[in-house]
Amino acid sequence: MIKINLKVNNKDCQLDVDDSLRLIDVLREHLGLTGTKEGCGVGECGACTVIMNGETVCSCIVLAGQLQNANIETIENIEKNYTLSRLQELFLKNGAIQCGFCTPGMLMSAKALLDKNPNPTEEEIKEALEGNLCRCTGYIPILNAIKEACDK
Amino acid sequence: MHNIIGKKVTRVDAYEKVTGKAIYGDDLKLAGMLHSACRFTDIPAGKITKIDISKAEKMEGVEAIAMYKDIPGKKRLGPIRQDHYILVDDEVFYIGDVIAVVAAKSKEQACAAADAIEVEYEPIEGIFDPAEAIKPDARHIHPDFKSNIVVHYPLVKGDINKGFSQSDHVIQREYRTGFHEHAYIEPETVTAALDPTTKGFKIYGSIQNPFTTRKIVALFMGLNLNQVNVLGSTLGGSFGGKDDIINYMACRAALLCKMTGKPVKLTYTREESMRESYKRHPYILNYKVGFNNNGLLKSMKIDIIADSGAYSSQSFFVTWRSVVQATGPYEIENVQTDIRSVYTNNSYTAAFRGFGSPQIIFAQESLMDEIAAICKISPLDIRKINGFKQGSVTASGQKLSEHKVSLDEVIEKATEKSTYHKKAEEYKNLNLNSTRYKYGIGLACSYRGCSLGAEGTDTTSAIVSVQADGSAYVLAGLNENGQGLRTTFCMVASEVLGIPLEKVAFLEPQTGTIPDGGPTVASRGTLTGGNAVIDAAQNIKKTIFNVIKDELKVSDINDTVWENGFISVKNNKSIAPISFEKAVENSFKAGVNLSAYGWFKAPEVSWHEETGQGNAYFTYVYGCQIAEIKTDTYTGKIEVLKVTAVHDVGKVINRLGIEGQVYGGVAQGIGYAILENFSIQNGIIKSPNLDEYLLPTIKDIHEIDAILVENEDKYGPFGAKVIGEPTLELASAAINNAMKMATGKYFYQIPLTLERVCLGNDLVKPSRQSEAGLSTKKRKQAPRVSGVKIITPSNLKEALELKSDKYKIISGGTDVVIDLRKKNEPENLLNIFNLPELKSITVSNNEISIGSAVSVTDIITNKTIQKHFPMLVDACSLIGSKQIRNRATFGGNIVNAAPCADSAPPLIAYGATVLVQSKNGKREIPLADFIVTNYKTQIKPDEIVTAIIVPIPQKKFYHSYYQLGRRNAVNITRMSVGVIISFDNKNLIDDCRIVSGSLFERPQRISEIEKILSGKLLTETLISETEDPLHEIIDKAIGKRWSSVYKTPVFIDLFKDVLRDIIKKNNG
Ligand code: FES
Ligand code: FES
Repeated sequence: MIKINLKVNNKDCQLDVDDSLRLIDVLREHLGLTGTKEGCGVGECGACTVIMNGETVCSCIVLAGQLQNANIETIENIEKNYTLSRLQELFLKNGAIQCGFCTPGMLMSAKALLDKNPNPTEEEIKEALEGNLCRCTGYIPILNAIKEACDK
Repeated sequence: MHNIIGKKVTRVDAYEKVTGKAIYGDDLKLAGMLHSACRFTDIPAGKITKIDISKAEKMEGVEAIAMYKDIPGKKRLGPIRQDHYILVDDEVFYIGDVIAVVAAKSKEQACAAADAIEVEYEPIEGIFDPAEAIKPDARHIHPDFKSNIVVHYPLVKGDINKGFSQSDHVIQREYRTGFHEHAYIEPETVTAALDPTTKGFKIYGSIQNPFTTRKIVALFMGLNLNQVNVLGSTLGGSFGGKDDIINYMACRAALLCKMTGKPVKLTYTREESMRESYKRHPYILNYKVGFNNNGLLKSMKIDIIADSGAYSSQSFFVTWRSVVQATGPYEIENVQTDIRSVYTNNSYTAAFRGFGSPQIIFAQESLMDEIAAICKISPLDIRKINGFKQGSVTASGQKLSEHKVSLDEVIEKATEKSTYHKKAEEYKNLNLNSTRYKYGIGLACSYRGCSLGAEGTDTTSAIVSVQADGSAYVLAGLNENGQGLRTTFCMVASEVLGIPLEKVAFLEPQTGTIPDGGPTVASRGTLTGGNAVIDAAQNIKKTIFNVIKDELKVSDINDTVWENGFISVKNNKSIAPISFEKAVENSFKAGVNLSAYGWFKAPEVSWHEETGQGNAYFTYVYGCQIAEIKTDTYTGKIEVLKVTAVHDVGKVINRLGIEGQVYGGVAQGIGYAILENFSIQNGIIKSPNLDEYLLPTIKDIHEIDAILVENEDKYGPFGAKVIGEPTLELASAAINNAMKMATGKYFYQIPLTLERVCLGNDLVKPSRQSEAGLSTKKRKQAPRVSGVKIITPSNLKEALELKSDKYKIISGGTDVVIDLRKKNEPENLLNIFNLPELKSITVSNNEISIGSAVSVTDIITNKTIQKHFPMLVDACSLIGSKQIRNRATFGGNIVNAAPCADSAPPLIAYGATVLVQSKNGKREIPLADFIVTNYKTQIKPDEIVTAIIVPIPQKKFYHSYYQLGRRNAVNITRMSVGVIISFDNKNLIDDCRIVSGSLFERPQRISEIEKILSGKLLTETLISETEDPLHEIIDKAIGKRWSSVYKTPVFIDLFKDVLRDIIKKNNG
């Protein structure tokens, strides 16, 4: 067991967790944040993507023991006061969601990109999302949603 | 005109999905819930001689272990034939078979106990080739069914021999298609809880067909149907895949639940999912076809063998669709088709979007282009000459007269929208001037029977219930699989009742509250379910009308208009419209019932088993897809530039939803054609996770143009037919036909892997004896990280004090955690990720020192590195994905010494050294020497790599780098080549460094070739002079390896092109 202090969605947390846990387990099992999904467990699908210290990571391959003082942001933090973010709205509008299992990861990757670079090129969008697999949408509506989000 | 039908409507279930609030199966937690894990077989075929659970039983947290003997009800089940062992008895039939299942307090405890169950076997030589299994003397895989042939469907029309004798040409071709994994992003999960009210169970989870789950669980547990209530969770994709497997998982969970009295959850990892789940059937298709000089098809004989795997499952239905549609949408006088589905010891196969059609379309549409070429007519003409017209008769003798036959229309639309002729011309010209990259355009078309056809009873149900305030519920006997069914049904109810969509809510169906709607398969959701919703809503409408008709002074409901929440009289403004709310209020006052059942029963269809004749489906859809591709003839890599997809859908209900179906289906079709290679050798799965089973990424899907043609069908709701499946079935043939144009070669097998395109066949790594299927070596159960201890020193000194062979270093963890998961053994980790001493990039006069814990992202974005080491940046940008690069460290990439580590070749070219430290001192080793061989370096147990030091080049280098991967992102590098060259003032090669990755034992410079180039003018002649020596070097080093037939020529070609690129850069 190890003690960790971290910030999750702007809240400080102190946890005693098993060393073998991964960040995704900490979020889902210990903090009840089940919006983050597990699709492969080996860093390939991106369903588990969260933002850690400002950068996207696959939460399935970060160990709990490496979370000391980390700042984590998950899908649960995107909607504010029951209002969807513009990006979320555009996902709805463009049909970027079908089964929705990839959606939390997609949104986190897109958000991390737009936070740093509000006007990315198509190439940069694809770069940011290359680690997020979607089996339903063929990516086109997702790309369209993000493109629209950066239209000025 | 419609109010809402045909518009772009946002999904009604999108809000919860976009906020992370939707509850998927694994998100569910019940009080006191136990977790469970399966003990899978270690071998694909064999008798079990002993199962020992004594150790597992006593392990901490374990509450129950269920086996065959514990099953209270039916022990073998299946959708059609009862041949499937949900828990095996004394024999295993494929690598996904389950011997026992353990329930414990935690997932980890359950997995550990499953690992501890000892099983002994007497292996049986497995049958893995369906062509072997079908031989008369082959061992019967299930002796009780007396044959390996699961089912044989014949079809005879006319007289093929007469047809062949009347033909100008007769040709015969064999095609093959591979296993295809659904790869829904959500792996399967199910939870069973006791239901005290019924003395049965409640079942939750990622369930595609709740009514089937209910039936299977009831049979397995020996219960009545009404004792099992199935409540599906939000489904993370299915595509036909969450049927049998999830039912059997539900059985196991229910059994454990009964044994323990507690709720039990069973969730799979991706590896377990790949292991047990069913796939699309691989087909071996033999087409013999007779035709005339003008292209007219006279006769066709089709023989197909389908690999059913260890169990029959849906083979009966899947192959039936194939027999109906095997000729494609062409009228042929004489046809004989025989399809046989056979048992093997492979993964079993069943429903997958497309359902027996993608295989035949790949074969038969590829064949059509070959026939056209022989007749010297265009691919369009061959289809025009033979294609179905209104009133044509299909191979099964069905006259196509009850719906609009729109084959010509979809082909014309597709050629027009894609500017087919112009593009074909353009690509032809491009190809004349390009040696390496070739372009092509190809098309494929299909017809497809809608809904179940004569394969099953085709009925479905819905409930519409209007509430006192005028809002309404819709419940359906079909399931939301992610495809957007809820939205469609709500739209239909909104349209019929003339109320805004916001007033209609979809209620999670439970099997206990609505009649069985049949399976959500065969793209039948909209067509059948939509009709049931219309039926229910119409009933309510009639009831309301009877209440308000006097007020409206009309006697015929057809004289009223229901829209925008008001009911008015047609063409009569003088009578005030009544609001829907008011009408509902009045109806409630009048005491009438505003809830109604809707029912849909499909029109009659027929089938004669012996002759294969009959009216197979009550209606059909038509589609045409045109693919444009670019292929790299050096490597065999295919880029699908654009797919134009034209589909006759009858009527568009939700435009947004339907376009999404097209994009998604086409993307799966592209994956099926070029990437997705579910590899199973001797019954052992070689692509157990998504790192080896490759799905298209966002970089692999370019343009898709979705074009919908509407010919309303008399049986469809508002004329709508189907869309889900046709979208997937066409791309592989269209791509294959485009590849013919690009390369001049015909291909007869998918997926079109790199090797297949280059060499004409796949390359298979020879299996070791231990993998021949006969080894009884114990295999790992659920892969997971467990037994790990981690310490984080606060500075380098502390880390060096601790470092010994007791500790394994973890930094970014992108390799280490995956390794831990695979090995699943206890490990002590020393976490150096955040050590400040390892995090910096420092530049001195003539060198740069990069801390070993610097992330790959930081390398790529560092200005100095970009300036002096552009080839390093090129290579590092191709490591993993964005998420991986953010986390992976530079030192980790080096120290892991994977043959495919992308940063090593450029670093070697730039002359990097590695700084390693221990508590006793430091040493600097040239990187080229540091890596000894694959996965092996010179590092000692007490050492840590602290930095990589690279001298800053003092002259101008030109560079070129090429990394080969199977797709465009997140690759395991198959091969890489990098060159940096500086020129003297006479433009002669001054300094030249050539490096390779994933070719030799380790990344290294190829100094022999460097010598040849040095001091010379870099020209095409010089480049060709390197060819023979390079060939010799590679041959000597790796010539005997299985992969060298591909790697050697490809590397040489790539190397030469990299040099040409440098000439180009040098010229300006
Ligand atoms: S679950 Fe983490 S990347 Fe797939
Ligand atoms: S919407 Fe299903 S995986 Fe993306």
